Amino acid sequence: MRKFLAAVLSMMLLASLIVLPASAEEAVTMDNIKIGFVHVSDPSDMGYTYNHDLGTKAMQAALGLADDQIINKYNVPETDECADALQELIDDGCTIIFGTSFGFENYMLAAAEENPDVEFCHATGFQAAGSGLANMHNYFGKIFEARYLSGVVAGMKSLEIKNNMLGYVTAMPFAECISGFTSFYLGAKSVNPDVTMKVMYTNSWNDPTKEAQVAQALIDQGCGILSQHCDSTATATTCEANKVFHVGYNSSMISVAPNASLTSAVWDWSAYLIFAVNSVVAGEAIPADWAGDLASGMCDLSEINEAIAAPGTDEAVETARAGILSGDLKVFAGPLTGAGKNYDGSDATIELKADEFFDESGSQSAPSWNYIIPGVEVIGE
Amino acid sequence: MTHAHDPFVRVVKRTNIERSKVVLFRLTALVGALLAGALLVALLGYDPAQMYGDMVSGAIKGFIGVNKKGVLAFTNASQATIKIMTLLLVSALGLTMAFKMRFWNIGGEGQILVGAICSSYVAIQFGDTWPQWLILPAMFLAGCVGGGLYGLLPAIFKARWGTNETLFTLMLNYIALNFITYLQYQPSWQITGTSFPKIRDFADSTQLPGVLGVHIGWIIALLLAVLVYLYFAKTKQGYEITVVGESANTARYAGMNVTRIILRTMFISGAICGFAGFLQVSGADGTLTTDTAGGAGFTAITVAWLAGMNPLLMIVYSFFIAILERGSNRIQTTMGIPKSAADMLIGIILFFMLGVEFFINYRLVFRARHRKEEAAA
Repeated sequence: MRKFLAAVLSMMLLASLIVLPASAEEAVTMDNIKIGFVHVSDPSDMGYTYNHDLGTKAMQAALGLADDQIINKYNVPETDECADALQELIDDGCTIIFGTSFGFENYMLAAAEENPDVEFCHATGFQAAGSGLANMHNYFGKIFEARYLSGVVAGMKSLEIKNNMLGYVTAMPFAECISGFTSFYLGAKSVNPDVTMKVMYTNSWNDPTKEAQVAQALIDQGCGILSQHCDSTATATTCEANKVFHVGYNSSMISVAPNASLTSAVWDWSAYLIFAVNSVVAGEAIPADWAGDLASGMCDLSEINEAIAAPGTDEAVETARAGILSGDLKVFAGPLTGAGKNYDGSDATIELKADEFFDESGSQSAPSWNYIIPGVEVIGE
Repeated sequence: MTHAHDPFVRVVKRTNIERSKVVLFRLTALVGALLAGALLVALLGYDPAQMYGDMVSGAIKGFIGVNKKGVLAFTNASQATIKIMTLLLVSALGLTMAFKMRFWNIGGEGQILVGAICSSYVAIQFGDTWPQWLILPAMFLAGCVGGGLYGLLPAIFKARWGTNETLFTLMLNYIALNFITYLQYQPSWQITGTSFPKIRDFADSTQLPGVLGVHIGWIIALLLAVLVYLYFAKTKQGYEITVVGESANTARYAGMNVTRIILRTMFISGAICGFAGFLQVSGADGTLTTDTAGGAGFTAITVAWLAGMNPLLMIVYSFFIAILERGSNRIQTTMGIPKSAADMLIGIILFFMLGVEFFINYRLVFRARHRKEEAAA
């Protein structure tokens, strides 16, 4: 047995000795650039990775890249396996690598230090600017602008159905999620001042069973419109089954909940991907921190479900959109108070006066609004 | 005598089987597994030859050599494989302690995680102040004791109240996993500078030194395999484990303290798994996540059984499965084979490898042949 295994293994070793010749150094052009992606899940999640992958495809089409110029590493956990995946992409000749999950950042920082000739772009992170590495970059977007618009759609619907209670299924109690539901609520409140909102966490980014349970619990408490910040469409389908309304995230969910889903706040990651790849080919520096927004097209509202949206919705959304684009409308604008936690766990409060506003994602692309405002009730904390 | 109710096929235990035949059986199983895998992949529309080539080269291409910096090291491809192997081997050695005693410890995953949690606690508390020579042994000790106590828990319940250890150890896995989720929100554990629920990265002093490009854990794992082998083969305690496994009553009759043996062995089993957790946080990851064990506690069960509980053979099998895991990862990238299909491929190969054990231990007797044999007798 041992002899046999030894024979097999030595054969495998022999086979592995056939090493491909190293390609000669040449200038990076659009025809030879290799682009790597490291994703924490795969497009079958129909949420975050799916949407990022749509961005990749749009980038490929826009830049005319061949299939073998893009290498995707899917289902990479936020452990040392990320370091191995990055190394694999570098060995395969990638000169720009996008990592899309928060927990990849430290492995990307280490790889960036080791490989100064390769550009590393990390979504949702916050350490690039402080790292001092010219080839490490963070990117994210002001999705709160799109969420505010989606809140306007929900607020209009709440006036029509005369139910002022909104519900919100979200992943985890931290700034990205809190900033998300606060902007949604503020959008709704801008058209319906009496609206309130109940929020429940699933403590997971993608757990369809739990998302459905939390959605059901919120509906049972009387919420007439639910929104969500988690990957699956379970919230939408639960709303459909219960004949209540829904506002989605990441992608349009009208196809799975045609009688419930009003619209979604969505990402178009290709805006950044195209920009970053163009920069590499042109030999220009990529900013350390990049936050896309409504204006750059990275964040937007998906189509509005005209069959069920309240009358006047389009006009209200366009008014708000024009305000955000012109800069007259700030989402986190005073007068506004809120209570939350500092990073060290101590209590924190914020109090914005009438002429003040909180510059969300202004200095750092990752969201930082971490306060619960009056009218919003977090259940189970 | 009538044969009307004879089953068409009977299963008969083999009393003796020649070594050469065992090798032949296993070889047939391996070939069968590769063919069945090739069939699956071909049906999905991919080239099986390219797939197996990519798997092997992705896992061990070049294996070892002088790298760009002029230092002898494992190649990038084989480094990843050896790290997977180390975690699998140590975990399998831990589980084998319990399995030899017929104590079905399905809780390796949880024991790895608790070991990792305890090591991480030391790393986070003292990583910035203690020197490396002190912090690493402290983390090691914390990991082993933590994992050991977590393994001791189901053993106490089994010894005292006769609880089912399979279910008990299985459930403990999920408690450990969810405890890490809880820790992600604790300010003293959480990453600083953001509110993202993730445990912070440890100081450099908490990281094990590397040998040939991989953390030193791989050498310790190989030594541990030899130690566990000697423990079973040469020590009184090792012999006691085997006797309790064969028959607790026999052990009692021989004057052994069965309860003590069960408790002691499960502590060691959990401690070795906890050691695997220590290796993972101090050698590979440099932080603690819910993926720290990554299913190794379950895959290690397969390693232990494939090796027939032989610690030295586990070196071979953990390497083999690490190649499969790493290779299946690689073909997702090079050929775009979906993860689910790659997982099926591993499943098919392991199914054949484990399935052949049945035919080594038993043989099938068909009705007609059965009659002939009786007539001859």
